[in-house]
Amino acid sequence: MSDLFDIVMLALLIATAVTVARARDLLAAVVIFSMYSLTMTLVWQHRGAPDVAMTEAAVGAGVTTVLFLITIARTTRREKP
Amino acid sequence: MRPWSLLLVLLVALPLVAGVATLPPHDAPDAPIHTQVGALYLERGVAETGMKNLVTAVLLNYRGFDTFIEVVVIFTALAAVLALPKGSAPLPKGNAPLPKGSAPVPKGNAPLPQPDAARSQGVGGARSREEEAPEVASDVPVSPVVRFVVRLLAPFIAMFAVAMLFRGHITPGGGFQAAAVFAAVFIALGLVLGQDRAARLVPVDWRPWLQGVAPLAFALVAWIGWRLTGAFLGYPIDDHTVQEAMGFVLEIAIAVGGGVVLARIFLEMET
Repeated sequence: MSDLFDIVMLALLIATAVTVARARDLLAAVVIFSMYSLTMTLVWQHRGAPDVAMTEAAVGAGVTTVLFLITIARTTRREKP
Repeated sequence: MRPWSLLLVLLVALPLVAGVATLPPHDAPDAPIHTQVGALYLERGVAETGMKNLVTAVLLNYRGFDTFIEVVVIFTALAAVLALPKGSAPLPKGNAPLPKGSAPVPKGNAPLPQPDAARSQGVGGARSREEEAPEVASDVPVSPVVRFVVRLLAPFIAMFAVAMLFRGHITPGGGFQAAAVFAAVFIALGLVLGQDRAARLVPVDWRPWLQGVAPLAFALVAWIGWRLTGAFLGYPIDDHTVQEAMGFVLEIAIAVGGGVVLARIFLEMET
C-alpha cells in the first residue's frame, strides 16, 4: 500500500520535473514547479518528516513561486529559443 | 548532442533509481536510520540536551554549527540580493544581460514578443495614473475573491506560525518553519494589499538588525556557551533551564531573522 503511494508520487515527481524542463512558457513552468513542491511535501510527510514537509510547502510551493512570478513579470514570459 | 545528453541523463538517473529501489521498506526496525547515529540521538537526546523535540535537539545542539552556518547562508543570500543594482527599467531594455553564448544582446531589444508589448503598455498607463504604485499590483487589479480570502486567512496563518514557534519544543516545527510561514503570509499580504502597506510591517529603522538577528543571536549564544562550558556553542549539560533558554533564544531569532530576510528579498524584487 505505502509502496504504491511512493511509486505514484515518484512518478508524479518525475513527470512534473520533465514537464517543467520542457515547458517553453515560463509561467506554466513555474506553476508546475509549485505542483512539484506540493508533491514533494506529501512525500516528506509520508516519510515521517513533518518539519521538512512544512518548510517545503511554505518555501518551495509558496515563497519561491511568488519570487519566480515576480521575475517573470519583470522580464519575459517566453523562453528564448 | 542529443545522444550525449541522453547518456548523461541515464548515467545520473540509473544510480538514483537503483538507490530508491534499495530503500528499506517503511517501518523496518533494522533500517540504517534506526541503527546508526539516529539511535544514539533517540537514546540520549532528551537527557543530554533537555529538549523534548529531538529534531530541535539535533538542529540546535548536536548539529549546532551546521545551523549557525545555515543562518549565515540565508543572511548572505539577502546581502547578495541587496548588492544587485536597483531600479533598472523593467521591460524596454530590461532583458539586457542575456546569458553568454545566446543570441547577441542588441537583438533582444528589437521586436518584443506580443504579451510583453501589451504588458509594457499596461505599465505605462498605470504609471501615468499613480506614480508610486507597485508594478505587479497595479498591472492587473487583484481579484476581490483572492483579496478577501488572503485577508481572512492571514491572521490565522500568522497565528499558526506563532504556535509552531512556541510549541516547537514538543510538536513538529520550530524557528525555520515559523520563518517560512511568516514570510509566506507577508508576501501574500504584499501581493494583495500592495507592497507599500506590507512594507510598513517591517519598520525601516529596525531592518538592518532584524535581518541580521539570527547570525547575531547565534554568535551571542555560542559565546555564552563558551563562557559557561569552555566550548564554542557548548550547552551546559546538567542545567536544563539554561539549555532551554539558549535554544529558545535561537528559535526566536531564527524565526524573526529568517522571516524578515525572505520578506526583504520579496520587497527588493518588487521595487
